[in-house]
Amino acid sequence: MLRKLTHGIKYLLERDAPGRSLFIYVDDVFIVSYPKSGNTWVRFLIANLLHSEDPVTFLNIEQIVPDPDLQSRRFLKHCRHPRVMKSHHPFDPRYKRVVCLVRDPRDVAVSQYHFQIKRGVLQTGHPVEDFVRDFVAGTVSPYGSWGQNVGSWLIARHKTPDFVLLRYEDLMRDAVEGLAQVASLLNIPADRSRLEKAVQFSSADRMRAMEKEQAGQWASTRETRKDIPFIRAAQSGEWKVTLSPNAAALIERAWGGLMRVLGYLSEPAPADAHQTILDLLGIASR
Amino acid sequence: MMYGIKVVLGYLLGTDIADRNLAVYPDDTFIVSYPRSGNTWTRFLLANLLFPGAPVTFANIERLIPDTSSQSNRALKRTPRPRFIKSHQYFDPRYPRVLYVVRDPRDLVLSYYDFQRKYRQIADDYPLATYVDDFVEGRLISADWGTWGENVASWISTRQHRTDFLLVRYEDMKKDTERELQRIAAFLHLKTDSDRLRQAIAASSPERMREFEQAQSRQWVATKKHRRDIPFVGPAQSGRWHSELPDSLVAKIESTWGSLMSSLGYPLQTLHTNPPADSGMAQLQPLRNS
Repeated sequence: MLRKLTHGIKYLLERDAPGRSLFIYVDDVFIVSYPKSGNTWVRFLIANLLHSEDPVTFLNIEQIVPDPDLQSRRFLKHCRHPRVMKSHHPFDPRYKRVVCLVRDPRDVAVSQYHFQIKRGVLQTGHPVEDFVRDFVAGTVSPYGSWGQNVGSWLIARHKTPDFVLLRYEDLMRDAVEGLAQVASLLNIPADRSRLEKAVQFSSADRMRAMEKEQAGQWASTRETRKDIPFIRAAQSGEWKVTLSPNAAALIERAWGGLMRVLGYLSEPAPADAHQTILDLLGIASR
Repeated sequence: MMYGIKVVLGYLLGTDIADRNLAVYPDDTFIVSYPRSGNTWTRFLLANLLFPGAPVTFANIERLIPDTSSQSNRALKRTPRPRFIKSHQYFDPRYPRVLYVVRDPRDLVLSYYDFQRKYRQIADDYPLATYVDDFVEGRLISADWGTWGENVASWISTRQHRTDFLLVRYEDMKKDTERELQRIAAFLHLKTDSDRLRQAIAASSPERMREFEQAQSRQWVATKKHRRDIPFVGPAQSGRWHSELPDSLVAKIESTWGSLMSSLGYPLQTLHTNPPADSGMAQLQPLRNS
């Protein structure tokens, strides 16, 4: 009851984080992704595009591209419009303008594994394959499994207006091109030099340097082990060395159809992969 | 501020409507559908099967199988476990076991049109063509649950092939109620026999439900404040769209959700190629091969 009372008072003072009950405006833009898909990098890219005057840091990122699960109702109410927010939620029909960031789930698994050790949720040396099993089941995440989360967005919104799909791997290759798509969704006139500057201000090296100084003050790293960095490899294809063939196969079997749609599997999905609705709709086979 | 105080009091007393803030237990079962898909009928069938003692009516259905969008968090907390709960929500990763009822959107839109006139959410002379536009564009009162296609696809794409998910078509339930109810019972691990199934079906017939509605519409939360000249229990038919929905409107719905509809076994009338070329949804091409 005391917990409820505290929450009630916070609500009246608009100090609570709204999460799912956020009041959504039609011009709101959401950057959605499954955790550890490069969301923080893309937040920096977009924030640097929005605020080209001064560089974005871990100290102001929460103000420029806030997270409704973290920031207060009052803060979010007074944000400048259009608001650009970050979210890990699976499909939400109320989100009308969406940047959807996806990453090869085998790399997402590796990244989440390291992050869970950094957070102290897993012990150093926890068997990777055990983690992958939980990852595939989706039981450890409040946001559904990778396949549910990503699949729910794609099935509902892919190829509709106001939906920009970005692959982490493509951004690694050419961030300017991906950022240009975001700029056009945001109606920001973005010339090449402005885009390049945003990419440069969000480089892995710069983010690592800022993390060193600011990790103690940023909400996502404050209470985690400092000997493991948040900005880690910033690479794609790391799974090839980290995951056993067995662990990789677990992921491919679970989400082969979806991975193929996204270009993460060039060979046909394993024969025993679950057929997804994407297959049923004939969209994965072409 | 007054509004804020009202919200907080509701929250503290537990009288706030549960909706998406519902506390979910691991032994919960959800009966999920888009509105006007035969959810209430399914609830009656299931409640009659689960609670064979007393007849299920509009006066007690909210106690037996409560509705997330009309019942409070407190009422839902008091429902004996394991709970069976009705919901119209789009995919919620927390729902442990889901029975999803789907209905041909061409019939659904006609039913919803009557329903919204009953609720005085649209005028009696609201053009059906505009209404179908609203329906496919997601501008109906149900917008927070997504469009029909979004709602259906969000569940099927995330849960199909799992043992804790069962997809039931309204049309199959109409055609062979006993067989479908038997499937539902098996899914829920309910011990049952032909007699009990038949009793539950008879106790949930449209005629009986219409009688109950006449007698009890003032006692049921979903009907008590609304006009009585349009019934809640509609014609309870499938295929009404063949005679009542103009071709241009059929084409509108099929061009929006054609591929999803055919994958659900609803044959398209206006489009012969599958999936339609201009469908906005679910036109996923492989992006590229890496």
